[in-house]
Amino acid sequence: MILPQVAADPYAWPFDGAWSPADTALIIIDMQIDFLRAGGYCDQMGLDIGLTSSAIAPTRAVLARMRELGFTVIHTREGHRRDLTDLNDNKRWRSARIGAEIGSPGPCGRVLTRDEPGWDIVPELYPAAGEPVVDKPGKGSFHATDFEQILVQRRLRNLIFAGVTSDCCVHTTMTNANDKGYECLLLADGSAALEIRNHAMIVAITAKRGGQFGAVAPSSALLAALG
Amino acid sequence: MLAQVDGIYPWPYDGPWTPAGAALIVVDMQGDFLEPDGWLALTGADIGPLDAVVPLAKRVLQAARGAELFTVFTVEAHRSDLSDLPDNKLWRSRRLGRAIGQEGPLGRHLVRGGRGAEIVPALAPREGEPVIAKPGKSAFIGTDLDQLLRRRGVRNLVFAGITTDGAVQCTLRDANDRGYECLILVDATASDVPAHHADQIHTLSLAGGHYGSLATADQFISVLSAEALS
Repeated sequence: MILPQVAADPYAWPFDGAWSPADTALIIIDMQIDFLRAGGYCDQMGLDIGLTSSAIAPTRAVLARMRELGFTVIHTREGHRRDLTDLNDNKRWRSARIGAEIGSPGPCGRVLTRDEPGWDIVPELYPAAGEPVVDKPGKGSFHATDFEQILVQRRLRNLIFAGVTSDCCVHTTMTNANDKGYECLLLADGSAALEIRNHAMIVAITAKRGGQFGAVAPSSALLAALG
Repeated sequence: MLAQVDGIYPWPYDGPWTPAGAALIVVDMQGDFLEPDGWLALTGADIGPLDAVVPLAKRVLQAARGAELFTVFTVEAHRSDLSDLPDNKLWRSRRLGRAIGQEGPLGRHLVRGGRGAEIVPALAPREGEPVIAKPGKSAFIGTDLDQLLRRRGVRNLVFAGITTDGAVQCTLRDANDRGYECLILVDATASDVPAHHADQIHTLSLAGGHYGSLATADQFISVLSAEALS
């Protein structure tokens, strides 16, 4: 199956034309209860989960179609080992300083800690059997994980990004992937930030300089290309 | 010992620090991004805001040298056979009308060995100050930067250079994930689009500074100068 290019900004994606489920993956970043749900970490911190949760429905539509077509889907979660051996000292210090120390009890279990309720992926986007889930201790998905190993093993070269937040973990992972030569597409409505300004900034700098980090498209454009 | 820098949080987070455990990272202050006949200007970008940051970057560099901080320069520059150049990056540069590897006034665009890949004279590296040629935006990808820093026992990193929304933030993000304690100098970094600088600084400032602290060049320099005077 060879698919038509996606109508994207600033160029039709992928750059070299052909793409298929064999060489392309959907990467869903950190769609976790703590970042998206009432009662979760972000909500308790007074942050606007209305914005982040707006990315769920577009991502769900894309996920359903890409599953039907047999694409690889990879999910990531930000969360630390339960003994916090993978937690950098300064990250812990900063989180304590804003009143949400990683590993301490929070509204949905221990903050950013693996296997706690808030750390889990929201039901609408829950990983299906066989879909890799990558647990990461940082913002980027390549650092201290087997994310790249999976991409290489499956010979994936085109990556489509959805998830939260646009300006943090999505951007860090996508810029890393771009540096490594992967051809990346950001879903403008399948990703979101805690502030509109930050999401708009990421969309702008991604498409800057002829697409310095890849291209950007709405989920509707991707779905149109998927047929 | 040096005092903490008075940034959005006192940097480094864990108290007084020593020059031996710190490094200044000067990002991509190279001819291709700063010269009027360099690659970036030839693609139509406005290099004015980038050029404007050179004097302050120079003051930071001089202060860091005075305090014997380890200084590392990065440049975005590919191998001459382009074996480290992703296909899509080459394709995008062609679309901008200035293909990477093509001959230009400063030598081949974004290729090692030409003037475009050299640090501009105002900030010229001295002997013993490594220059890291990187094939992407982040100085941690496809380079030995992490090796150099760990070998020297460096944990604290101070960032100056260009562009805020490009190589500076990409390198900062990777450094932070790796456990380095970072300080970004908000007025010794710049973007060709000033709004992109301001927006990037805004997002880096969230959650009290979740990639590190932020301070002005003077706030950083004053800590180093106090040491020099004492």
